[in-house]
Amino acid sequence: MISVGQQAPGLELPDHLDRIVSLDQFAGKRHVMLLFYPLDFTPT
Amino acid sequence: MEQLLPRFRAAHTQVLGISVDSIFCHANWAQSLGGISFPLLADFHPKGSVANSYGLYLDDEGITDRATVIIDAGGTVRHASSVTPAGRRNIEELAELCDSIDTEHGAGLPDFPVPEGIGKVHALFVKSNCGFSRKAMLARENLHLQNELPLKNVTEDPKAREDLVRLSGKDQAPCLMIEGNPIQESDEIVRYLVNCATDLG
Repeated sequence: MISVGQQAPGLELPDHLDRIVSLDQFAGKRHVMLLFYPLDFTPT
Repeated sequence: MEQLLPRFRAAHTQVLGISVDSIFCHANWAQSLGGISFPLLADFHPKGSVANSYGLYLDDEGITDRATVIIDAGGTVRHASSVTPAGRRNIEELAELCDSIDTEHGAGLPDFPVPEGIGKVHALFVKSNCGFSRKAMLARENLHLQNELPLKNVTEDPKAREDLVRLSGKDQAPCLMIEGNPIQESDEIVRYLVNCATDLG
């Protein structure tokens, strides 16, 4: 797992509302909480 | 999670869900949970590549660990933890964590914009057993627009079909009627609804 203090790897992925979401778009504006989870239709 | 979004917004924190499922699977699952408006990202192709870059892809099982990574606005990882795939996250604890990260690293960040809302709308016309209609319906529910945006099914309701033809000039659904103007392409309908209803920057 990535360690605290490291620079976060970039990401750019499509979402369920047809948006393309990247980490860059939040740079300097928002913190980001990434919720990784195994599969849909399981608890979050 | 969706109910607690205002707390994360107040802490200048954008929530993003991520798994190896496709966007179609995400949209259906999100709707089944009562609607999810924050992005559910599809780490689908190549499968798990983003999870892998965070050291969270479980190769043997072909799934992602259940893990949380909080990144500050400067791009530095401030928190990383796993509860294992079978475990459950403590969202309340994470909200407190985001508060304290924001206190320490969030000086001068802009507030989340307030969505404009959908304004004057006639309705969303849909057909039964139509993938494009379903896509528009899922977006409506994931964005919690059920009250603002009435749904009319032209397959089940002859009156709805009459209205559709009268208002849009065509017997074509899905169709979003906005102040007398029809939007007839499902991707465009979703884009319009997203722009009205979310605070994603």
